[in-house]
Amino acid sequence: MAGTLSLPDSEVVQYLCACKKWNSIYRLYICRRCFKIRCGDCVLHEVDSPYCPNCLENMPSAEAKLKKNRCTNCFDCPSCGHTLTTRATSQMIPNPDDPGKSTPKKMYYLACGFCRWTTRDVAIPDKPIASGAWEDMENPDAARISTLLEHYQLLAQKEKVEKERKKYSRRRSHLMYAASMDKYGLVSVAAKRKGLISAGPNPTIKENEEINIKTIKEAVTVEEFPPLPDEIFTEPIQLTKKTSISQRLAMSEFQPSEAVELYPRRKHLLIRRSLRCKECEHNLSKPEFNPLSIKFKIQLIALLYIPEIRVVPPGELKYKKDTKIVLTFSNPVNTNTKIQFIQAEGNEGEKVTAKIELPKKELVLAHRDVPAMYADMPAQQDFKDDSSVVSFRKANKLGIIFKVTPLVQEGDVKVCFVLKHDYLNTAATLPSENEEPEIVWLEHRVTVNLGPVTSSK
Amino acid sequence: MPLYEGYTSDKNVVIFDFGAAYTKCGVAGEMCPRCIIPSQLKDQKTGKIKQIWEYNTEDELYENLKDFLFILYFRHILINPKDRRMVVCESLLCPEIFRETLAKVMFKHYEVGSVLFSPGHLTAMLTLGTNTGLVMDVGYNETLVIPIYEGIPVIKALQSLPVASKAIHQRMKEMLLSNGKVKTGNEEYSLSDKPELLTEEILEDIKVRCCFTTKWDRAKKIHDVTLYGADISNLPSPPPSVHYPLDGGSILVIDGTIREQVCEVMFEQDNEQVSVTTLLLDAIIQSPIDMRVELSQNIVILGGTALLPGFLHRIQMELLDLIKQPRYSNVLALKKFRYHQAPAKSNYTSWLGGSMIGSLETLPSKSVSRDQYTESGKLSDWCNLATVGQS
Ligand SMILES: Nc1ncnc2c1ncn2[C@@H]1O[C@H](COP(=O)(O)OP(=O)(O)O)[C@@H](O)[C@H]1O
Ligand SMILES: [Zn+2]
Ligand SMILES: [Zn+2]
Ligand SMILES: [Zn+2]
Ligand SMILES: [Zn+2]
Repeated sequence: MAGTLSLPDSEVVQYLCACKKWNSIYRLYICRRCFKIRCGDCVLHEVDSPYCPNCLENMPSAEAKLKKNRCTNCFDCPSCGHTLTTRATSQMIPNPDDPGKSTPKKMYYLACGFCRWTTRDVAIPDKPIASGAWEDMENPDAARISTLLEHYQLLAQKEKVEKERKKYSRRRSHLMYAASMDKYGLVSVAAKRKGLISAGPNPTIKENEEINIKTIKEAVTVEEFPPLPDEIFTEPIQLTKKTSISQRLAMSEFQPSEAVELYPRRKHLLIRRSLRCKECEHNLSKPEFNPLSIKFKIQLIALLYIPEIRVVPPGELKYKKDTKIVLTFSNPVNTNTKIQFIQAEGNEGEKVTAKIELPKKELVLAHRDVPAMYADMPAQQDFKDDSSVVSFRKANKLGIIFKVTPLVQEGDVKVCFVLKHDYLNTAATLPSENEEPEIVWLEHRVTVNLGPVTSSK
Repeated sequence: MPLYEGYTSDKNVVIFDFGAAYTKCGVAGEMCPRCIIPSQLKDQKTGKIKQIWEYNTEDELYENLKDFLFILYFRHILINPKDRRMVVCESLLCPEIFRETLAKVMFKHYEVGSVLFSPGHLTAMLTLGTNTGLVMDVGYNETLVIPIYEGIPVIKALQSLPVASKAIHQRMKEMLLSNGKVKTGNEEYSLSDKPELLTEEILEDIKVRCCFTTKWDRAKKIHDVTLYGADISNLPSPPPSVHYPLDGGSILVIDGTIREQVCEVMFEQDNEQVSVTTLLLDAIIQSPIDMRVELSQNIVILGGTALLPGFLHRIQMELLDLIKQPRYSNVLALKKFRYHQAPAKSNYTSWLGGSMIGSLETLPSKSVSRDQYTESGKLSDWCNLATVGQS
């Protein structure tokens, strides 16, 4: 059948974004300061309000940073990744007053409701308190890493001091790469040999700048690595006792190969993102602080401000044959919107395959009116629609007739035009002021894919 | 809280190591990456998995990197990229187009403040507190060996071989397709009837959970059979087979020979008599004579493939054996070798070095700033390793 639209709705009508990318209206934002359409690529994404997806607790950004974006209360199963729950049990412990007797005591452990993993499986002792007792494992190399880091930090400080003192003005050159290692014990010998980098650091230091750098303990090297255990050739392996690569990498410091070495993982926080216009830094989307809320304090999605266009499936579209088609325009705002059409000039990367004749007169889209959308009644206002241009009117929707002439014998029929509409800028005026809101005219370049041309055979 | 965090001058420096298989990403001054995740993306529309290194055009790579960084910044690191600094640990063989495109995404799209590109082989040295070493990286695509002498890579001695984990997976696939059996209930059929069952994930999982690098004396017997035509009866008796569960209740029977032999792909000397082990000796031979002994006493092994059980021991045994063979003993007067052990797992050692560089006060003066980049429009003016190394 001719005119069947096989593309998903979101790809039939595309709007040109301010950054020159074509996008569906469902993925666009509009900046109310510079009145430009913005897409995901030309807005600034920002990390906003970290929260735990399990306990829904918000964490201030500074604290989240300190906690490495992990919740202090919730844990994930190291085996399957689901959330662990705290289970209470009663244990008999020797009575401190009467060593001959034992008394029950409440103890806690963590268990996975999904894969049944528990902290007991891996011999982690139960804890006497329900939360806060699960410490992180310590990196066995922490001391060495800290020593090295301290050492490099001192060297870097020293270098900085000397540089400032000498007003080091060596031009940056391609040698910078070598210099990036310079003086962290990775001195650029080759460059030095070539005489390209000034000889080593000057040992004299500012009188008040006693930077004393002790040499650090040399790295220990080994001559041998442990061989494979002999059992590997004789004992069958139990797959379930071996960790998978993702289980290992999720504990990057330890990467245990045996399942008994798995350890509960603190739950990773999520964030809500806020969006800003890259040009004027105005907020385009800002989530509510409350993680339970799906509301946004600010949410300037284009669909709420720009008329949405849909295609009424056309009949036959034949090569070089003038055909009337209908596009529906829906008004998203609560005021009437005037619209005009302009032929698209030049080319912005669209592939046009048909000529389109546009209505010359200005048309009005009725305001969005919630009850009227349900009551299937004709709009109350009288727009004196010209039936040669308007195919139908229903609440805030208007079916507009266009004349299209396909210029290709095969492939999709695509047209391009500029939609111009007025827009009441309520954002610019404060409600307290008794000023009339400013009216601006916005123009959007739009392409519409009307589906494949009907073959002439 | 780790002690040393007080020294970090800027807590918002993000450190990346974009591996062929896994990307390591985290924050400067920390002891391990916040995440090690597959270097891949899920296509929003088709749901297909796509490797970030898989691209036909620069634009495609740009999109890959843009989307991948989005996930890293907003799902894992939770730090705003804009105006912040970053460090990239890269391979010495990193193609120019990758680095340039990454810089473009970073500076133009995310508007980061500055980027420092640093070779992972060099940053790894920082974690040891030494500046001379023979560095071997056994990653996913290839094995690379480069001597670093007093902080400078001896580029002319660089050795590489396209065998590492990818080749192991490939070898496993061949072996399983030639004799692997699948059992479903009472039925049994050859895996070669359903080769699509063997995805890359399954191959990797089998490798990680079941396979190992066998001992040198056994390997010699295995090579006699698999490479030099000795009778199969000379094979050492294989380790027990494994019943590996597949989706839908089927069981894949993995023969012990597969568990033991897949890693041999890295150690089989081909026609040119090259294996991952000979790369080490060849790199020493290509280095100036006065460096050789020191290099042999400072071997550093990086990369996730080196985490396979038995790998390091095997390298050690083979080196001691090879050095006695005329082709090496005639040129090298070495008797023993010594190895470094970084304070990190070998798959993120380079990253840890990046984390150290990133936490230093001098980072700004070593990095390319957005202004500098915007001025010249490309990166290559700022870091050109090849020119530095050739001396
Ligand atoms: N903890 C581990 N145990 C076993 N194998 C590992 C481990 N970590 C990584 N690997 C293996 O090492 C290979 C290379 O990892 P990596 O060095 O991160 O690759 P690249 O840096 O080239 O992306 C991977 O294919 C992975 O299967
Ligand atoms: Zn855009
Ligand atoms: Zn929580
Ligand atoms: Zn679980
Ligand atoms: Zn704006």
